[in-house]
Amino acid sequence: METSTNVTTSYQKEADKKLTKKKTYNPYGFSGKTSIFMHLLLGTFAFLCIFPFLYVIIISLSNEQSLAENGYQLIPEQWSFEAYKYLWEMKAQVVRAYGVTILVTVLGTFISVTVIALYAYAISRKQFIFRKQFTFIAFFTMLFSGGMVPFYIVMTQFLDLKNSMWALILPMAVNAFYIIIMRTFFLRSVPEAILESARIDGAGEWRIFLTIVLPLSVPGIATIALFNTLAYWNDWFNALLFIDDPNLIPLQSLLMRIENNMDFIKQNAMLSNQNSSILESIPQDSARMAMVVIATLPIALSYPFFQKYFIKGLTIGGVKD
Amino acid sequence: MKKVGVLSLVLVLLMGILAACSGKSSSGETSGDSTEDHVTLTWYLIGTPQKDVDDVMKEVNKYTKEKINTSIDLKLLDWGEYNDRMQVITTSGEEYDIAFTSSWANNYALNARRGAFVGLNDLMDEYGKDMKKLIDPAFLEGAKIDGELYAVPTNKEVGQQAVLSFNNELVKKHGLDISKVNSIEDLEPLLAVIKEKEKNVTPIATFDAYLPFDSILQEELPFAFRLDGNTDEVVNKYEEDITMETLKTMHEYYKKGYIQKDAATSTDSWPLETANWFVRKEIYQPYAEDIWSRSAGYEIVTRELHEPYIFNNSVTGSMQAISATSKHPERAMMFLNLLNSDEYLRNLLDKGIEGVHYEENEDGTIKDLPARVENYNMPSFAIGNQLILKLYEDDPADKWEAFEKFNESAKSSPALGFYFDSNPVRTEIAAISNVTSEFSPALLKGAVDPEEYLPAFNKKLDEAGMQKVLDEIQKQYDEWKKEQ
Amino acid sequence: MSRVNRFVKNVYDNRIWLLMILPGFIWLIVMKYIPMFGQIIAFKNFRFHPDGFFASVFHSEWVGFENFKFLFSTNDAFVITRNTLLYNILFIIVGLILSVAVAIILSEITKQKLAKIYQTGMLFPHFLSWVVVSYFVFAFLSVDKGLFNSVLGFFNIEPVSWYNEPQYWPYFITVISQWKGVGFSSIVYLAAIVGIDRTHYEAAMIDGANKWQQIRHVTIPMIMPLIVILTILNIGSIFSADFGLFYQIPRDSGPLYSVTNVIDTYVYRGLMTMGDIGMSTAAGLYQATVGFILILITNYIVRKIDEDNALF
Repeated sequence: METSTNVTTSYQKEADKKLTKKKTYNPYGFSGKTSIFMHLLLGTFAFLCIFPFLYVIIISLSNEQSLAENGYQLIPEQWSFEAYKYLWEMKAQVVRAYGVTILVTVLGTFISVTVIALYAYAISRKQFIFRKQFTFIAFFTMLFSGGMVPFYIVMTQFLDLKNSMWALILPMAVNAFYIIIMRTFFLRSVPEAILESARIDGAGEWRIFLTIVLPLSVPGIATIALFNTLAYWNDWFNALLFIDDPNLIPLQSLLMRIENNMDFIKQNAMLSNQNSSILESIPQDSARMAMVVIATLPIALSYPFFQKYFIKGLTIGGVKD
Repeated sequence: MKKVGVLSLVLVLLMGILAACSGKSSSGETSGDSTEDHVTLTWYLIGTPQKDVDDVMKEVNKYTKEKINTSIDLKLLDWGEYNDRMQVITTSGEEYDIAFTSSWANNYALNARRGAFVGLNDLMDEYGKDMKKLIDPAFLEGAKIDGELYAVPTNKEVGQQAVLSFNNELVKKHGLDISKVNSIEDLEPLLAVIKEKEKNVTPIATFDAYLPFDSILQEELPFAFRLDGNTDEVVNKYEEDITMETLKTMHEYYKKGYIQKDAATSTDSWPLETANWFVRKEIYQPYAEDIWSRSAGYEIVTRELHEPYIFNNSVTGSMQAISATSKHPERAMMFLNLLNSDEYLRNLLDKGIEGVHYEENEDGTIKDLPARVENYNMPSFAIGNQLILKLYEDDPADKWEAFEKFNESAKSSPALGFYFDSNPVRTEIAAISNVTSEFSPALLKGAVDPEEYLPAFNKKLDEAGMQKVLDEIQKQYDEWKKEQ
Repeated sequence: MSRVNRFVKNVYDNRIWLLMILPGFIWLIVMKYIPMFGQIIAFKNFRFHPDGFFASVFHSEWVGFENFKFLFSTNDAFVITRNTLLYNILFIIVGLILSVAVAIILSEITKQKLAKIYQTGMLFPHFLSWVVVSYFVFAFLSVDKGLFNSVLGFFNIEPVSWYNEPQYWPYFITVISQWKGVGFSSIVYLAAIVGIDRTHYEAAMIDGANKWQQIRHVTIPMIMPLIVILTILNIGSIFSADFGLFYQIPRDSGPLYSVTNVIDTYVYRGLMTMGDIGMSTAAGLYQATVGFILILITNYIVRKIDEDNALF
């Protein structure tokens, strides 16, 4: 009788396994084989994306002469810290640039997200009679704008913002594209039913917005906040137009100036005589790459901070319709 | 109805704001002759902002206040952004007084034609007498557009001369005779030797072939005047025989491996300090070999490709213009006059403060102190009259005399002083610029076969409206010639 | 009630919403609508006037559509329009598929730590400027020093002068543009997926749906509004191209123009000598107008299908 008991037991074990499998079947993931394939896929792609950046770091640690002789190499003939030493000499300027960039990014993102969220929420509400018009007003600016010179005139002659931190914050404070995205999020993530019941309970629109809508829209807000942070951090154009004061130059602008200088001088045959003395004061390739590293690394590594808003399960759960 | 309501609200707001602000275009009073009132001039100059600029400007302003009751607000805009910034500043009608202009940055001819700069003929005669005596007349005449001068040229080398520069170490090492080299074709035997014997050296540091033409608007564009022969006819230089021959030579060199394979697309700048080249093409000025040899760390020798010519580009290589929006054009001219004739001021602005940035030797020459390279490295040639600068101790004593001789020996190009107004044919030029960008870099660097590409190039140019442009240029040229 | 009275009542009833849009609205007026008058330069032959910009614009000669001619005058005009259009359509389609796919995969990965690492990695290309990226592409495609030709040489195949052969470049450009953009564009889709109510999935599972069916019937429909909106907006820029991608990456190589010259690069090259502000404004106006009309058409079609998903 032992064999039959064994058989029964093993059969039962299988059945139990199947049951438990069903119970613990993770609805949030792929099955084993697919999962491995997906990991490989994403992993390879992610590596291909990081690789050039690693390359940038390697170049920034290469000896300038060997760069000139051999071009960019994966394993440089000679390693050297000279690029970073050069930047270290500019450290006062670099530190100030960091300060400006961080201040502008934080302040700018905060202002931007607030203004955009308010606008987007209003145009997402069916009760707002003028929502179609204001959607159009925002969207129209995505395509048509006045061009650099009228913009420059508005900023310098009407608003008098030359050499002011606001010249770095205001131009990017509102973005119609983000408004439209945010509107879509608001439309989708907050069912009218909850809002109705809240209104019946006597809550005012502001209270509804702040206590119900915002928490439910965290992924959307996080997205816009992330986009803004990246945009502010990477912006060099506004500083190019409006900032002369060396104390107000942001990080990317510093980098851009160096790059533009080098290109300009290289391309101008007329300057070949003065080349050497001018280039004395301008860092070469390895220093340029070093600048890319120190300007990009912090923001790239800050991304995980935003990530937690994009992870399933952490959002305050949806609503049972 | 609601749509109309909202939109009209928007319109009203718009107009209101516009109306309120349009009054901003102010009309100030222009200062008169006298230097009774103190004036501050705004001056935009190209160059990397230096740490000690404020200190030096304090000294400068002490001097200028004393002499002409003027202070200068100097704004240095970095190399890569000068052009774009000045374009926005000029177009937006911003008030400023003086700006650096040239053929390659903040374009002189274009801006002058559009009315951005003040005509200087009268101002020069009245307030610029001192510098007028010092500046080579070729500059003053060659830079006039339709008879009017629109910016003060910097007195420097007025002739443009392309030379071939050689790494003399390699020349000596292989016992090469460069004295017979007078053109790119003559290089052949030397290049062959280098190619064979030096594995780590690229014989030719990529350069554009030299073509004997005076190009209109830009070097690469096809419209040009011949330098010899019939010099009154504007031609498509890519259709000329000499061009085909020269480019064939360049392509031969490319095929033989004397030129780097990715010449057409590489952005290698061939820095002098790296000794991986044998010959390159440069633009010359007296004693340039010394400057180059010093940067390279080894000796550089040169051979001329042609005699010095005075082109439009060489007289407009560095100038200071007075803005049409300036409220003090007379005072600006007075300052420029002082800058270009007063040795103390010119050297102060150029080299910095004595004792801090440089030391003066007994014989009048000077020596740089470390503070100068670090904190006050100014673009000398962009500021003003070079020939009144103090000499360095290792400069040849006759440096400025050599410049003057060089200038005297330079021949005027037939089209010197003719500034083509591209406005009537701007549509065609936009198309032609694109076609030129497509074909000329590879052709000029020798990377493609001219037998195949030149005909294709010219065909596309014709389709883009070449004849119409040539006719317009010829028409303007003939009219200009009559007035000379 | 008279019209005016009705309007005033509407304003009063909607005062909260109007208050919310106010800061953004003021910004739009000042920063975007007021400068829009500058578009008029496209129709003028711009000359400076000492009294400032407005005076310059006012006194400049009206030339109608002459500043637009250069965009249509030659055979090149056809090439650049075709290139711009085709590449953008391709990018919209491929980009959409890739971004959504990546977002979905990321959302389904169980090991959170790994998902985070992948996502951070995929974002890196967004930070590199096109100039820097062009150096790397050069390191791969350089005739004598490039990686591709070294690999070919290893297999005893003749080296290819990549920068002179146009036939490969549509592939290069597409791959490079997606490489740079997918990480960034997948974020917004990921955010949308994350907000999907769990119960929808649970309901599907009870009905016996497997993972793929869940994706097809829950995930994708739930993010469809976002997909539609973003696609409509992308259609608006169908006549504009990313300048760095088409200029820096191919290193402005002439032989490649037939596949890399787009409207933006054509305008840049055409105006380099002349710096004519009228012509550059005309080009921008042309691109914007075409995009605008296309959006109106697309939006109209979408509105007919499902009003809620339309832009306006």
